[in-house]
Amino acid sequence: MSALPAAIVALIASLRSLPGIGPRSAERIALHLVQADPHAVEQLARHLTEARARVQLCATCGALTETSPCGTCSDPRRDATFLCVVERPTDTLVIEKPGTFRGRYHVLGGKLSPLNGIEPEDLRIRELEERLTREPVKEILIALGTDVEGDATSFYLARRLARPGLKISRIAHGLPAGAGLDFADELTLSRALEGRRDMKQDE
Amino acid sequence: MHLARLRLRDFRNYPRLDAEFAPGFHLLLGDNAQGKTNILEAVYLVATLRSFRGVGSAQMVRSGQKGYFVGSHIVGQGEHETKMYWSLRERNLSLDGMPVRKVTDYLGVLRTVVFCTEDLLLVKGPSRSRRRFLDLLLSQTSPAYLPLLQRYTRALRSRNAILKQPTINPLLLAGFSQELLQAGGEITQLRCELAPKISALARLACRRIASDTEDLQIEYLPSVKKDFTVELAQSAARERTYRTTVIGPHRDDLDLLLNGRSATQYGSEGQKRTLAIAMKVAQADYLTGLHGTPPILLIDDIMGELDLKRRTGLFPLLQRSRLARSQVFMTATEENWPEELGRDVQRWLVKEGGLCPLPATDS
Ligand SMILES: Nc1ncnc2c1ncn2[C@@H]1O[C@H](COP(=O)(O)OP(=O)(O)OP(=O)(O)O)[C@@H](O)[C@H]1O
Ligand SMILES: [Mg+2]
Ligand SMILES: [Zn+2]
Repeated sequence: MSALPAAIVALIASLRSLPGIGPRSAERIALHLVQADPHAVEQLARHLTEARARVQLCATCGALTETSPCGTCSDPRRDATFLCVVERPTDTLVIEKPGTFRGRYHVLGGKLSPLNGIEPEDLRIRELEERLTREPVKEILIALGTDVEGDATSFYLARRLARPGLKISRIAHGLPAGAGLDFADELTLSRALEGRRDMKQDE
Repeated sequence: MHLARLRLRDFRNYPRLDAEFAPGFHLLLGDNAQGKTNILEAVYLVATLRSFRGVGSAQMVRSGQKGYFVGSHIVGQGEHETKMYWSLRERNLSLDGMPVRKVTDYLGVLRTVVFCTEDLLLVKGPSRSRRRFLDLLLSQTSPAYLPLLQRYTRALRSRNAILKQPTINPLLLAGFSQELLQAGGEITQLRCELAPKISALARLACRRIASDTEDLQIEYLPSVKKDFTVELAQSAARERTYRTTVIGPHRDDLDLLLNGRSATQYGSEGQKRTLAIAMKVAQADYLTGLHGTPPILLIDDIMGELDLKRRTGLFPLLQRSRLARSQVFMTATEENWPEELGRDVQRWLVKEGGLCPLPATDS
């Protein structure tokens, strides 16, 4: 077996660190790129750097955006009294799809996970509490996955955020157990949004 | 239900094996270290996706190779093809050509009960061995059980990680306690329902194997006595001392009583062996009752160690497998097939990772 040039080996290693790309795909993509039209590759490289440079997290809600605050946070037609709490920035896209949710978002940036060393201080919970003092929020919908960490985080949040006049509910069912929001199709999600329960009844 | 075909590639000491098995008795003969137990291990793997030797998949890959493949054709009420490939980098499991998404969709395609010398751990070993006995049986019979157990284990490990921190955040702990209580409550409930059924079956099996004077009783000893929520709260001081969760189904045990006394403490070696077999027979009986068809029996080496009387106690079980067109695979180093079972048995010679049928003997 003749050895691959070092530049290709390095490229494969970079590609492999991307989500969803295994060793074989990494090799296939790398071999494709080093033989492709140089302009096309330059364009790809430019898009990568530009996208990374322009996209940031919204200072208010934590979603992906090119302007901070993001479109949703600055849209006066969105219901500022209703906040949906999600785990990752991309989860907002899942909730947006059915088109039934008219409130705003707050991205936690993860879930509590003692096994991975993720504690409350590592999530955007303090930011959420600050928003509650600033914004006219009356209702919070917690939309986390239903695996052990997701459920424990929901429980934790519901207790920590509890205050008079604030209704806290969570997506009650329909999301497959053990799966993050990615796996929820639009149908189960809109049903889940309708079927949300007040968290106090959970206990 | 029977295993009509078994295909192995780079599994243990088998570079390649394609074997067809009819319903009925199969006797795997061969010298030591030729690959007899490895065949049983592969059949068990098809049924449960794990090794009964309690080792990980890496150990089952033939030395110097990348991965193993185990494929099977199963004939029961319907027919099924299973394919499993495992390597460090890649794992594939398919049923009838479709990738298996959830393990619970797969388990139950083939049911086996294994009898081996390690069964003695059921009596002599730590409580973990007895919990595993319950867990394996429940995950074979109740689709909700395995996910429940995984949830419980995750919640337990998370909780223990919190308890090990220098300062414990009580609200964070409460979040995971909630999960522990929910999954744990259901696990206790399912184990509690199973135990008396197994006890009754094991008692009958024990009488058959030993004698009517041995009265076996299996009692479930749940760690949670009445109310998990209350008892977990009461254990708060202790769990902070030991920095680990001290109450819950992970501390359950089974009490094995022979004539009212703990067999673990007072039983003779022979009694312990009888008891272990009785528990396995109970497992096979339970599966048969639940599904209407007997599981495939994998009997590794133990026939040789049993005296005639104990062997005789096993016959009804073996006979039933034959009548129901199920299968029994037995390993032995020399031919010690009990004559009482008749001559209707397929003999195989296992030699250096190969399997070949032996002609029927008339003697
Ligand atoms: N991963 C592996 N790769 C290659 N060979 C292996 C592997 N694991 C086990 N073996 C070999 O398989 C053989 C043991 O097979 P097995 O346990 O089935 O023997 P057996 O026929 O049941 O013997 P016994 O009568 O002593 O129980 C040994 O020769 C061992 O070296
Ligand atoms: Mg062996
Ligand atoms: Zn925003």
